[in-house]
Formats: sequence, structure tokens, C-alpha cells
Amino acid sequence: MAFLIPCPNCGERGVTEFRFGGEVNPRPAPSASSDEWTSYFYRRGNTSGLQTEWWYHRYGCRKWFLAKRDTTTNQVTETRWP
Amino acid sequence: MALTQNGNRLPPRPGEAIDRSHAVSFTYNGRGIRAFAGDTVASALYASGVTILSRSFKYHRPRGLLCAAGRCPNCLVTVDGVPNVRACTTPVREGMAVRSQNAWPSVDTDALNVIDKFDFAMPVGFYYKTFHQPKLMWHIAQPIIRRLGGLGAVDITADPESHYHHDNRHADVAVAGGGPAGLSAAIAAASAGAKVVLVDDQPSLGGHLRFDPSRHADVPGLKAGKGPELAAQLTEAVRASSRIQVIAGTVFGVYQDNLVAVLTRDSVIKLRAKRLIVATGSNEVPHVFENNDLPGVMLSTAAVRLAYLYGVKPGRKAVVACGDDYGYRAALALQGAGVKIAAVVDARGGFPASMSEAQALRDSGVRVLNGYVVIRAEGPKHLSAVSLCHLREGVPLTEELRLDCDLLATSGAFEPAAGLLHQSGGRFAFDEALGEMLPSDLPRGVLVTGEVTGIRDLRANILQGRVAGLDAASSFHVLSYEVRQDLARLRHDLAEALAAYRAHTTRSSPIADMPGKKRFVCFCEDVTVKDVAQAVDEGFADIQSLKRYSTVTMGPCQGKMCHRSFVHLCAAKTGQSVQKTGSTTLRPPLAPVPLGALAGHLHTPIKRTPVDKRSRDMGARMTDLGPWRRAHVFSNPEEEALAIRQRVGIIDVTSLGKLDVRGKDCGALLDKVYTNKMSDLQAGRIRYGLMCADSGTILDDGTVSRLALDHFFVTTTTGNVEAIEEWVRWWTAGTNMCAHVNNVTAAYAAINLAGPKARDTLRKLTDMDISADSFKYMRFGQGHVAGVPAILLRIGFVGETGWEIHFPAEYGEHVWDALLNAGEEFGIIPCGLEAQRILRLEKKHIIVNQDTDSVTTPLEADMEWAVKFDKEDFVGRGGIRAVKERGIRNKVVGFVMRDGLVPEDGDPVVMGGSPIGRVTSSRFSPALRKGVGIAYVPADYAEEGRELLISINGRTEPATVTLKPFYDPEGERLRA
Repeated sequence: MAFLIPCPNCGERGVTEFRFGGEVNPRPAPSASSDEWTSYFYRRGNTSGLQTEWWYHRYGCRKWFLAKRDTTTNQVTETRWP
Repeated sequence: MALTQNGNRLPPRPGEAIDRSHAVSFTYNGRGIRAFAGDTVASALYASGVTILSRSFKYHRPRGLLCAAGRCPNCLVTVDGVPNVRACTTPVREGMAVRSQNAWPSVDTDALNVIDKFDFAMPVGFYYKTFHQPKLMWHIAQPIIRRLGGLGAVDITADPESHYHHDNRHADVAVAGGGPAGLSAAIAAASAGAKVVLVDDQPSLGGHLRFDPSRHADVPGLKAGKGPELAAQLTEAVRASSRIQVIAGTVFGVYQDNLVAVLTRDSVIKLRAKRLIVATGSNEVPHVFENNDLPGVMLSTAAVRLAYLYGVKPGRKAVVACGDDYGYRAALALQGAGVKIAAVVDARGGFPASMSEAQALRDSGVRVLNGYVVIRAEGPKHLSAVSLCHLREGVPLTEELRLDCDLLATSGAFEPAAGLLHQSGGRFAFDEALGEMLPSDLPRGVLVTGEVTGIRDLRANILQGRVAGLDAASSFHVLSYEVRQDLARLRHDLAEALAAYRAHTTRSSPIADMPGKKRFVCFCEDVTVKDVAQAVDEGFADIQSLKRYSTVTMGPCQGKMCHRSFVHLCAAKTGQSVQKTGSTTLRPPLAPVPLGALAGHLHTPIKRTPVDKRSRDMGARMTDLGPWRRAHVFSNPEEEALAIRQRVGIIDVTSLGKLDVRGKDCGALLDKVYTNKMSDLQAGRIRYGLMCADSGTILDDGTVSRLALDHFFVTTTTGNVEAIEEWVRWWTAGTNMCAHVNNVTAAYAAINLAGPKARDTLRKLTDMDISADSFKYMRFGQGHVAGVPAILLRIGFVGETGWEIHFPAEYGEHVWDALLNAGEEFGIIPCGLEAQRILRLEKKHIIVNQDTDSVTTPLEADMEWAVKFDKEDFVGRGGIRAVKERGIRNKVVGFVMRDGLVPEDGDPVVMGGSPIGRVTSSRFSPALRKGVGIAYVPADYAEEGRELLISINGRTEPATVTLKPFYDPEGERLRA
């Protein structure tokens, strides 16, 4: 993996500076059913194509942000603050 | 052998790479070899009469210099114990020890060459076919074949420490290749303002110009001159530019978004470029005929290189075989270097009368044979003659012509060195007119220039280079009006040059279907035309599966010598067009890369505390704890533990993770990430915190101190702080709370001062009121200790009156010394990690990740008291609640042995001979004089006084469950 990610704070940097935080996965309300919680824990969309996901600029500004990445090409089309 | 020890050096010539005033000597198989500075191992050996450099992979056939450019597998040797080094690009160094490999008893007379006679036993794909009946046969044959075949041997006793380092570079424009096109591109890009990094793998810049003796008058922007003079002009312009950086190395990979991987002599460079210009030129490739691997048969560029770069006579009497104009130039060059040309053999039917070099050659009396091809080289160990046959309309006739010679220079077969374009995702199309696969579709950010485009014309290549350089720079710099005018003119000139080149270029097809045995397509793995044909007959007609079955293009040259012949041969055998046949996929690495270079340094940073040196000076034995180095034991862990129980001791706990959390919402944030409530903590107080994942499993624990309404000081377990910092920051980002988390672990030193005499010791160093009534357990204070500003946490991991003193790390040794001095009268001693582990175990305090694992929830850890379900929401609530509803299966319990027996961490808890749980920590308790520990057992065992059986060294020993701390169960000493 060698693609570039434009950090909203630091600009374009190599992927090895970042930690992947997984696809965005909304957390159920505390009162949600156990099925919803199970789904939150274990089920992922595993999209082929554009996916919104969390990234953390570990060796940079140490900020979490959201990135839209094409999972088939690793092209990051958009990054923004949550 | 035709060549002798001393007669092979030519007279000095301007532009040569060697320095004849500087002698270098080294050994080859123990024999002394004299060379000059600037020689390569191969040129020095060839000058000394060594023409057999290696033995082939499978048949152990003698192999000599073929490409002399670091492409082919023929000159792999072992240098100073490092196997598979290319002799032809490795500069000589004084005293280096070079050895040949894969031969017995010697590379000159290799007894294993007998395998050559048994080739019928090793047809293509033999490992699927032969030696399989009976079944046992393969098990006997395979290790022998493994031993006989192959390359050099790795010295496993050598020092494993890699001497390679890794380096990151950035450039606007990266140029791969330092030939005329690459240099021109670099100069043009830099002139337009771009920061350029140029990578070239040859000993000096200039590419083929360095050994091109012909005079070039019509090169735009350069003064007329011979090749080396033009190379010098270009090199000078590159050196003069402050924007161009030159790296001597090999580009072995291109990855996404133009990450260019470069291997140098001692490093791997990760070069990130906005634009990549591929100017890798072309590789000359061997002709295919019988015995085409015989020493003495080499590529024409190799022969010319030897003569012009290294002043080595490649042979006495040469035949030059060619299929295009380049052969005449090579022949003229060799003649100019003093090699007698026996004949030029041109596969094309007509003499190229319009070519001045060809005319000059013929006028000098050289025999030119048009419409002939070489069908056989004759040996046995070095070339002594070649047999030719006449072609009529591409079909070989039976009549033969035999010429005596000791050098056959083959020319006219080139292939674009397009590996980097393959890797970066470029597409290729077969150009019928030029007879080559040429780049047709380039990926974003990649440009291509020079001979890699199939155009082998100096004027055109230099124009291409300039255009590419300006194009690359223009994609992120605004070009000035003058430069744009210049670019337009260059484009126009280039279009004309390309049209002219195409108009007069004809190339012959590389393979006429000729007779003969042992016609090698692949030199790396000894694959012949017959092998490939047989594989096609067996059904492997598709180029990709044919590659995998026959292993052609899969050896050390990675297709650089064989790919073109292979594709054409496959096309001919299957009756498909070359375009339809396609090509194999070239993947990184483009050239062999030592594993040590990829690994880089054994780089494991160690974090040392501010009292690391002091501890070692005091005799501490050190140990690793996560990334930290900690004092393990100073004197004796049990004595150290007793000192804290009875008197006073200090422990360096700097490695504890420390987070500074501030902001309006910091209370809410900590409520979210900890299972217990933090927002109602009063300023000045401390609370134990347990952190879980949403699934309910324990992540971390530590203390939370409220410094102010909007300011907390949080500690985490050693080595976990980076992960916890990221975790807390993630929840901050995800919930949009106004809170700021700062990792201050290394900024603060921390010393735990504990024991009945801790207060007396501390009182001497601080003006704070530390009496039991005013500085209570689970409170903290801010003040000075030994004059240093500090935060003092009154907590009790070890179970005695004590303070965890956090202060700026710079004062580590000062405070450490001050505490030891102040406590001297009370018998203070420094204590290590082992004593701390004993003391905490006596208090039955768990260590996250030691006594818990990745599925342990607070319920299993017997810490439900730290979980506040009445909070609105917190991370882990859903998971812990689900476990609570389901009921727990296992639980963490304490146990006491009957006597001083101590199980090992990890020993099984058994029932009826089967394991039902495990010991997670255990130590001998100096306070109880018994073995104590923590075990993970089925939940129904978690009853005070229940008996457990623990298997220690195969013997089952009884232990008693206890749910309270073993020592001071009510915590009176802690609060004292």
C-alpha cells in the first residue's frame, strides 16, 4: 500500500503515516435491542467501491477524520472532519 | 582459451571509466587479480583472462559475460560472503574476496556439467513428470535436485544485523534513468523550476553515450562530439543545477501515487514524486541459436562497453551478427578498439548502402554477409567458431558457412525496458513497424521518454527528454512565456524527428525457425526453444500459464533477457499475433533486492526513564516492559518488597501512561470512555478507572485525578498509552465533545514512594501538609518535592501508605536522589518491577492483559463495582449488560497455596485431570510466607475457601480460593 491521503489538517501524506479506523459504523442507542448491538459489534458493510471510513493521522497531527475511499483502487476522493 | 593474462587491456582512451594510475587488487577463488579503480569485478576478471564466470542453473553449462550491464544472470558471484552479486556492475574494492558459485570442483571444470547430457530426464515441467515413479523416488530426488540446481548459498553464520538503512525523499519530478533522454528531461524540468531527483544504476551518467564512439553533430542544444563528450556535457549541466539531485541506485518498484522504491548500495529510498519520468532505455537481448550461451557470445553493447568503458579487449577476432543498423555501428566501434572483425552477419537481405558506418566498414575490407544468420556457436568451453546459414525470405537454407572467431557480438534485438511502466499500470500495444511492444497508455502522473518508447535515435531521444521534462514541470508550475514558446518548438522538432526515424527504420523479426539443439530462450533457468515448444504442445498456450509452467521470465533477470524471444516464440508456436499473445506481467521488484535491504535496520527504539542510568549505576538489572526499559531487580525482590511493607521504598514508575485531558466536556468524555462515573468527581480527588471496548471487554485501567472542573490527569497501563490516546481521541471526534487529550507520558517522571515511613521521608522534602487527616487516601495534591513542582497522587497499588509523585522528567535524577537521601535514616531502598509485582499481587490488584485477556469483561474480572449501569451511556455498557444477562462462565479469583510452593504463570488449574482454568500470575509472598496468585477459573469456583487443584510440573497441588486481598484485606495500612 502506498497511496496518499489528504489529511484535512496536514495535507497529502503517505498512507503509512495513518492508522485505519474502519468503516463508519453508527452506534446504536443505549436502549437498542441486542440484535442491533450485535450487528454493531460484528457486521460490516465491506463495500466494494466508495466507502466512508475513519482515519487517524498517527505520525502527524494525531487527529481523527473521515475519508471517502474507493476500496477497489485505494483512491481517496474526499476527507473531512467528523 | 584465446585470451591471455596480460594481453587484454587496450591502450588508454579518453572517456574510459577506469583510472589506470590507481591499481586495485582482489582475489577470485583465492587467486590474486590486479585491476584498476573504476573496473567492475567482471571487467577486471575478463582482463585477466577469466571468461567463465558462472555455471548455469540446471545443466551447469559454462557461462560468461553476456550483458555487462547488470541485467542478465551470467555473472552472479559471491562477494565477501554475499551471494548472487552481479560481477558486471559491482566496482572492485581493494582486498575483496570474490568466489564463483554453483560449481564443483571449480567453475572452469564443473563435474556437474554431466547433467547437460541427461537433459532428457529434465524436460520442461520435469518436477511434475519425472522422478515420481515409484512414489518414494521424488523424496530422494528432490533434495538432490535442490542441491545441484540453483544459485549461491547464503552464509547463515553471517552477522544478521543489516547494514542497510531506509530513507524518505520527496521530489516534484523523479527521473528513472540517466541516459541522454533522462538527463535531458531532468535538466528541462529543473530549468522550469521543478525539484528533480534522478536515479541511475550505472557507475556514471550518460547511458549508452558513454561508450558510443561515433560522432554526433546534429544534436539540439549540445556541442558536436563523440558520445562520451555529449555525456560529459549533459552530466555537467545536471551537476550545475541546484534543483537536481542524483541518486546512484536502481529503481526496483513503482507503487501507487508514484511512490518510487530505490535500492542503493546501502539503503532503500522511498521516493515520493508528483511526476515520474520513465527513461529506462532499452535492453539488448540475446539471439536464439544453438549454443547461444557459450562464453564468447555476448551482446554487442557488452563488447563495446568492455572496450570503451574498461579498456578491455573483448576478443581478438569477432563476428558481429545483427538485424538492424546498430550492428554496423557496433562493428565499427569494435574495429576502432582494435578487434579484428571477421564478418558482419546481417539477417536483412540488402546492404544498408545509405548508412555511412556500413559503408566505412565495407570500405575497410570487412566481409559483410547479408541475408545470413548464425545457427550455431562452437566451443567447447569458449567460442572458437560460428556456423551461419543463408536465409531466403526468412527461411533458413541447409547450406552452411563456418567462420573462426573468439567473439560473437549479437546485435539488433532490443526490448524497451518497460518494467516500471508495467508496475505503474501502463498498457502496451505491438508496433508492427518497429516490431516491438510499446507503451500506449500511461497511468496518471507517469511520463515516458527515450528508447523505452522504441525510438532509438539520439536526436529524437533528447528532444523527447526535453519535452517530457517541461510537460512534467508544467503540471504543477506555470511555465513562462519563453519556456512555452520553447516547448512548442521542441514538440514540432520532435514530431519531425520521429517521422524521419520511422520512415527509414526496418527491423527483422527476431526468430527465424532455425534447426539446432540447446537454443536457450531463458538463461536464468536453462529453458530452451524445445522446452517452450513442448510446453505449448502440452496445452500451455497462453503466455501467462506458459510462463508459470516453463519458468521463463521468472529467474534473476526477471525477463530482461528472455521476454522478447519468449513472446515471439509463443506467438510463432501458437500461430497468434504478437499483439494477441500479449506479454507477461512484470511486478516489483524489477531487480533482485537483498532481504536485508527491505528489512532495514533492526530498529526497535527503547524508551528509557530519566533514572535509567541512575538505576543501572545502583546495580539494577533491567528488563523490557512494553516499549520501556525498567529496573527489574536492584538487590533481591523479596527483600525489596519487605522494605516497602516494613520501612519505605521507591519505585520508578515513569513508564505509566499519562494523559492530560482538558476542555468543557472533559467530564462527559471520561464518563463515556470509563465504566465508572468521573464527571461527579470533586476537584482534588482521584478515582480508579476501568475502560472497556463496546463489546464489554477490558481495555485498560488507571487513575483519574480531577485537577480542575475542566482538567483531568489520567494514568494508563505501561505500553498502552498510545492505543488509549487514539481510543479516547476517537470517541472525542465521534461525539464532537469539546475536549483535548494530550499524551504527556514522557514529559513527566513518576516515582512511587511507599511504606510505613513514606510520610516521614516525604515530610523532609515538601512544605505541603501531608498528615493522614489532611492528605487522605485517593486524594492528590500539587506542590513541591525537593524544590520541584509535582503532582502527588495518594494511591496504593502496592498497598501501603504512599504517593505517586509526578514531576517534570528533567528532574528525574534530582528527585530520585533527594528521596533516597531523605529516607536513608528510615532504611529506604530502591525497588524494582519484580518487587512491585509481588506487592500488587499480595493486594490482588489485577494487571490488564496479564490477568485479563481479550474476552475478559469487568464481570469476569470481579470488578462490577467499577461499572455504573445507572450512567446514561458509556462505552461497553451494551456488551457488559449482555454478558450480565447471559451470565459469566469464568471469573478471576485469588488463590493461596498451602506452603511456599509457587506455580508458574500459565500453569493449568485442573479438575479430574483436565484443565478448567489457568494461573495468570503467581509469586511467593514474603509477607504471607506462602505462594499466592490469581487464576482464571469457572465462575462457580469463585467462592471464598473453595479448593483449587493446580498442576505444577505435572504434579497436582491444592490451593485455596480467596476473594479478598491476601494482605491487609481491609486496606487499613493503605489509608494510614
